[in-house]
Amino acid sequence: MNVEWYLIVSALVFSIGAGGILVRRNPLVILLCLELMLNAGNLALVAFARAHGNEDGQIFALIVMVVAACEVAVGLGLIVAIYRRRLPIDVDELRELQG
Amino acid sequence: MSLETYGWLVLAFPLAGTVLIALSWRLGPSKLQGYVGTLAVALSFLSALGALFELQDRGEEQRQVVTVGWDYAHTVGVDAQLSLLLDPLSIFMALVVSGVSALIHLYSVSYMASDRGYTRFFAYLNYFVFSMLLLVLAGNFFFLIVGWAFVGAASYLLISFWYRRTTATAAGIKAFVINVVGDVGLVLGTYFIFKHTGSLDFVKAFGAADELGRNEGDLVAGCLLLLVGAFAKSAQVPLHTWLPDAMEGPTPVSALIHAATMVTAGVYLIARMHPFFEQAPAAADVGAILGCTTLLIAATIGLVVTDLKRVIAYSTMSQIGYMVMGVSSAAYAAGLFHLMTHAFFKALLFMAAGSVIAAMAGEQNLDRMGGFRRAMPFTFGCMAIGGLALAGVPPFAGFFSKDEILANVIAREDWHVVLGVLGYVGSLLTAIYTWRMIFRAFFGDPVEPARELEHGHLYHAPEHTNPATGEVEDTDVGFPGPEHHIAEREWSMKVAMALLAVGAIFAGVVQIPRVTDVLHNFLEPSFRDSRYYEELEPSGGLTWIGLAVGAVLALGGIALAYRLWMQEPARPAAIRQRLAGVHAFLVRKWYFDELIDTLVVRPFAMFGRFARDVFERVFVDGLLVGGPAGAVRAGSAAVRAVQSGFLRYYAALLLVGVTGLGLYFLLAAS
Repeated sequence: MNVEWYLIVSALVFSIGAGGILVRRNPLVILLCLELMLNAGNLALVAFARAHGNEDGQIFALIVMVVAACEVAVGLGLIVAIYRRRLPIDVDELRELQG
Repeated sequence: MSLETYGWLVLAFPLAGTVLIALSWRLGPSKLQGYVGTLAVALSFLSALGALFELQDRGEEQRQVVTVGWDYAHTVGVDAQLSLLLDPLSIFMALVVSGVSALIHLYSVSYMASDRGYTRFFAYLNYFVFSMLLLVLAGNFFFLIVGWAFVGAASYLLISFWYRRTTATAAGIKAFVINVVGDVGLVLGTYFIFKHTGSLDFVKAFGAADELGRNEGDLVAGCLLLLVGAFAKSAQVPLHTWLPDAMEGPTPVSALIHAATMVTAGVYLIARMHPFFEQAPAAADVGAILGCTTLLIAATIGLVVTDLKRVIAYSTMSQIGYMVMGVSSAAYAAGLFHLMTHAFFKALLFMAAGSVIAAMAGEQNLDRMGGFRRAMPFTFGCMAIGGLALAGVPPFAGFFSKDEILANVIAREDWHVVLGVLGYVGSLLTAIYTWRMIFRAFFGDPVEPARELEHGHLYHAPEHTNPATGEVEDTDVGFPGPEHHIAEREWSMKVAMALLAVGAIFAGVVQIPRVTDVLHNFLEPSFRDSRYYEELEPSGGLTWIGLAVGAVLALGGIALAYRLWMQEPARPAAIRQRLAGVHAFLVRKWYFDELIDTLVVRPFAMFGRFARDVFERVFVDGLLVGGPAGAVRAGSAAVRAVQSGFLRYYAALLLVGVTGLGLYFLLAAS
């Protein structure tokens, strides 16, 4: 049971998520990719927990899941608000917070 | 009470007076404030009398008392203490100042009665008396300079008293600026003296004066700087141009500050600093020559000016020239005696002039006055007494004092004799211009205000105007009040003028040559260290010739004025036609104003414009302020470019950054 395989999978998923954030314009899809990255992190944590034989990694993975849930709630709320205001659901168009 | 207590009381009363009057402004103008002010100064005079008696009770050797109120600092060898020097000279000055001031306060109680700024007037007047007393009682240079500066400030406040008149404010600024030049001279002179004697205290510095070399460069420079200060305050050439303009202030102000007290501060300074001046005869000689020059220049201008108050102002300048010449030639008692008698008759002349101007409803031009003799007998009497004293007719006070100065100056021999002779020429001119003024104002056909007054009705001008420019004014705050008060109708003005008239007549007996020597003996302890005080004594023959010549010149001058302005009224106009050039030169006041304008005012104005347009705008605003501001703005513009608002741009930055960091640590660890 090599931990490297799990880490490679984690890295792959993480990069797919990162690439998705950089490329996609729909905020909903960006949130999805964000989830991918977080879950890749979770995978790595659990793999290391298995490798070291203690449960520290699993506990931290639970905490990460809580954070992911909160942040998704906020993100989805923002997207619903944007939709209700009839603004374009395009991250490139929403750039007034600048200067 | 002890001498020291009396000394502090002399200062405390006017200070309390000014604070009380100032704090009572809510009550509105009321005669009570005037009486409080007068009482304060009168109490100060009584304290000075008390101090006089205490001083005379002491033995001959103990007549110089220093009293310290407060120790401010002991640093760098400088002892700054609130100390008073109570000796015959300072008590004499305090008596003259407080006595004449009390009478002028009494006069002003009625004279300024309808002015909206009555409270402010008395607060300022008491403040002035306090400052002048501080100046004369100061025991070290520090407080002399403080008193000097305060007196200048009081003069500015009082000259621009009617502050809505632009002529008055301009005159106040002019007086203050010239005073500041004098202040600078005084402070620098003090520095020189301090450098060499090591002490700011008078008694210690005078004690160290003997060790300084005679006519040593630094000492002469220091004394010349002190002379600059004295000349600015006493309106001597070339710092005299402020005094005629200062007549913009109310008449009591002219009487008090610009006749009797403030302008004599320079004379007091030279007399007090006599140990230094005697060690630096070069500076004393400069003082004597400039004093003589001033007395002649002022006398010639007094012959042609037509404003009543300005004639008296030039006469003040001239008489102070006599005093400065006297104390610079080591005739200390004579100079101070003339200071006292001059205070009496000059204040009297100004008070009488104020009465005449009030009768004319504010008009000051001699050309429009005439024939007030029957309408205002009391004012005429006072003016005549003042005029006789000023001209130097025996047995009035001015005769003895002026001739004593001239006799002592001639007794110095060498080239001082020239100064003395010029002084006699000046006294002839004095008699002429004084009685020119009196004959023109009081004799001849009565003008309309005089005729109305003879019928018991005080003349009111149809509208209130500025006497100098004719601009129409209202009578609200900052302008003179609507009512005018003449001496014949106000008891306080009569009492003040009568007391001064008594002084002007009888003050001469204090120092009749070869008969009484009261002042000379009284002041002796202050001048014990002078090498001239006892030695300089005009011989019997010189004294009698001097008195005779003085009397002849005075009576001759009056007779000449009578001839020209009473008997042959067309002669003065004819003389003016023939000597038109000279007349123009004199009316323009010897072109001193234009000279100072070209030499000083214009260069400074140009420098100011250069500083504003070139230096401030280009260098300071452009380079020193704009430079760093521009750099910061450019830097922040660069940094601002990073915040584009693109979410994906931020995400990319984040990822690239994290990757970079991770790679770095990985490579570093391997």
